[in-house]
Amino acid sequence: MKRKILAAVLVLGMTLGLITGCAGTTSGSTSSGGTADTGSTEKEEAAEEAAPAEEAAPVHADEINIGIAQDLDESLDPHLAVAAGTKEVMFNVFEGLMKATPEGDLIPAVASDVTVSDDGLTYVFTLRPDVKFHNGDTVDVQDVLYSIGRNSGADGSDPLIPALSVISDMQGEGDKVTITLSEPMSEILNYLTLAIIPADYDKQDTEPVGTGPYKFVSRTAQDNFVLERFDDYWGTPASIGKVTFHINEKVDGLIRGLQSGALDLVAHMTSTQTAQLGDDFNIEQGSMNLVQALYLNNKEKPFDDVRVRQALSYAIDKQGIIDLAFDGYGIPLGTSMFPSFSKYYDESLTDYYPHDTAKAKELLKEAGYPDGFEMTITVPSNYQPHVDTAQVIAEQLAEIGVKATIVPVEWATWLSDVYGDRKFQSTITGLTSDNMTARKLLERFRSDASNNFTNYNNPEYDELLAKALASTDDAEQTELYRAMEKHLTENAANVYIQDMADLVAVRKGLEGLTFYPLYVLDVAALHWAE
Amino acid sequence: MKYAAKRILLLLITMILVSFLAFLAFEIVAGDPAQTMLGTEATPERLEAVRQELGLDRPFIVRYFSWLTGFFSGNLGVSYNYKQPVWQLIAPKVENTLWVCFISFILICIISIPLGIWSYNWTNKIWDFFRTAFNQLCMAVPPFFTGILLSWVFGIVLKFFMPGRFPDLHKDFAGALRHMFFAAVCLSIPRIAMTIRMMRSTVIGEMEKAYVRTAISRGNDRKGVLVGHVLKNSLVPVVTFLGQTMAEIIGGSIVVEQVFGIPGLGRFLVASISNRDYPVVQAIVVILAFWVVIAGTVADLVNQAIDPRLRLGGSK
Repeated sequence: MKRKILAAVLVLGMTLGLITGCAGTTSGSTSSGGTADTGSTEKEEAAEEAAPAEEAAPVHADEINIGIAQDLDESLDPHLAVAAGTKEVMFNVFEGLMKATPEGDLIPAVASDVTVSDDGLTYVFTLRPDVKFHNGDTVDVQDVLYSIGRNSGADGSDPLIPALSVISDMQGEGDKVTITLSEPMSEILNYLTLAIIPADYDKQDTEPVGTGPYKFVSRTAQDNFVLERFDDYWGTPASIGKVTFHINEKVDGLIRGLQSGALDLVAHMTSTQTAQLGDDFNIEQGSMNLVQALYLNNKEKPFDDVRVRQALSYAIDKQGIIDLAFDGYGIPLGTSMFPSFSKYYDESLTDYYPHDTAKAKELLKEAGYPDGFEMTITVPSNYQPHVDTAQVIAEQLAEIGVKATIVPVEWATWLSDVYGDRKFQSTITGLTSDNMTARKLLERFRSDASNNFTNYNNPEYDELLAKALASTDDAEQTELYRAMEKHLTENAANVYIQDMADLVAVRKGLEGLTFYPLYVLDVAALHWAE
Repeated sequence: MKYAAKRILLLLITMILVSFLAFLAFEIVAGDPAQTMLGTEATPERLEAVRQELGLDRPFIVRYFSWLTGFFSGNLGVSYNYKQPVWQLIAPKVENTLWVCFISFILICIISIPLGIWSYNWTNKIWDFFRTAFNQLCMAVPPFFTGILLSWVFGIVLKFFMPGRFPDLHKDFAGALRHMFFAAVCLSIPRIAMTIRMMRSTVIGEMEKAYVRTAISRGNDRKGVLVGHVLKNSLVPVVTFLGQTMAEIIGGSIVVEQVFGIPGLGRFLVASISNRDYPVVQAIVVILAFWVVIAGTVADLVNQAIDPRLRLGGSK
């Protein structure tokens, strides 16, 4: 009898062992023998494994473990990667001719110096001598021409960055790269933060090579992402030698990781989450640098009527949302711009529509909706802050007789239906600018912009934008951008809510966390206290 | 031989059917892989380029058959998202999930079968009340809750393992196993409770049968009859149940993988579905189908070994 039970268990054990063994051999990179042969004995070990206590978590002087909720699940080619989470990490691996500073300025990186002609049409970059790629090669002008040309569509293909089609000619000689524009474009240096990568290297998708302070080591899907200090970096080398990003799509898992000592740093947390952490952590507060708003489909009834949009703006209490759903963390916004871009940000627009339900009702009445109306708010369900915001908004709208139904959708559905096909009434999301230009935030409201998912259509706005883009005078351009922001507020293009707070849990002893006006995590600046 | 042929045929049909249904499901639900990949950076030109690159511009049936022929020639394709061969991506996940399921299955077997038989002796005692109550509790508590509890007690307080950092199975086997052990415990608790109840009621049912009465009236002692005759007869339904359990565990593993941060098949499946990474989803779905059929087959084989009468029935 016992023998039969044993046999049954063994059959199962061997089947499993066999399958596991196959898994090992076929992947090629792993040793298979151990797992296949020990299949049926391991169970006893497993049972005993629970008993011995493990030594206390070691202090990693030269290592850091960072928890992230978003896997780097796309091409790692810096020109093709699109997810904010990927760019956040790869900021440490790649650099452009120029790079951003925490203050929001641009400084030369792979280039050592840039001169601009008086007409603003010719830029001459001098390459820094001895900038090395992670594969050991020295950066030369061919690599620069290749990297920029790929994005500007130099070979006649569709440019990866449409704005760069303004480049009419590029020449490289010695250590100089000359870029000629067909018309002046003041943001060109922002766009030239694009990563410089080696020409003729075809594994950028999976084994990226750049010039940044960290080099890529490995990626294990849904598990971890490892970087290592690049010792031949041209600038100040990073302090911490090995960086491991651990992926857990559940923030609860990341919190347990912090508590257990597995993780040293987790960004993008909420106040409720950071409250669960003990004394081992400092909580640093930055901002997400995005415009969270109730984005309205301006083509869809009743939001094609400016009075209805304004009524909504009066009815929704931004500070109320921040207090209720975000424990008071967050900066209320009144237009498509956030405070980090101090040059363009106009604080006076924030309270353009003070919370006033009487006024909101009046406007609704004027617009022909004395009893309110029904509407839907489509929210990406994977993003809890937006879902929470939607719930508060629905409550607030009920006060003026507007019945809002929240429709949670998967991110993929949101992208295809809301963002792609523009089949929605209203939605909550956060829009950002990944190259520190006002243009990126404002250009999407041009009537015929391909990413104008709110269908905002106003000739006056289009005209302002055209003028701003054509302007070569920085002061004049800034004024025009500010006028555009004011225009968006006055016409209540969307109901602007806030720039969300970015709370970062940092283990005590870890110093140097720096916030940028970008969605990035600068690991090179981090170091352990002595 | 005939049996083997039948089983293999069943396996093939199941896998093809399941893969087709999964393919079809994606055709119906909203969400376009190209759009999902490009996110808010999508421009009509780039969308078109990516669709072409992925071959999404071809009709549905053409895509399915090209996947199917690839599958039968051992090529699972390349992940849309990761740009890596699918097998290279999922092999370590398969391994992790199999270990969790295996440990969990062993736990179920070694705990619930003896306890199920033993609990037979508890009939009509006050203890029985507590046993039933405890059993019910174990069945009712959702694995994610026990998971949080276990990882707090054993991970954060006692530091038996480190939640948030899963060791590489090939570099730190003992560490990984320790991590997976607690996930397996959490996965097996409700199933242990179910199996005990199942085992117990089968034993009780069997003990009331005529042959037991006869055996006892001939002077055999109860324990001897229980071990010598009843156990063997009670095992058949339990083994079938365990076969089903084996198939179900893999579904339940999704939750514990998330709670314990184990990079396994379940989590990867969920992520790939929301990314619309078809090649990965197809591969995992087929593996799961394979798994379910194999679990059933093994249960059948074991049952036939226990009770040869079933073999006659099977080849009719």
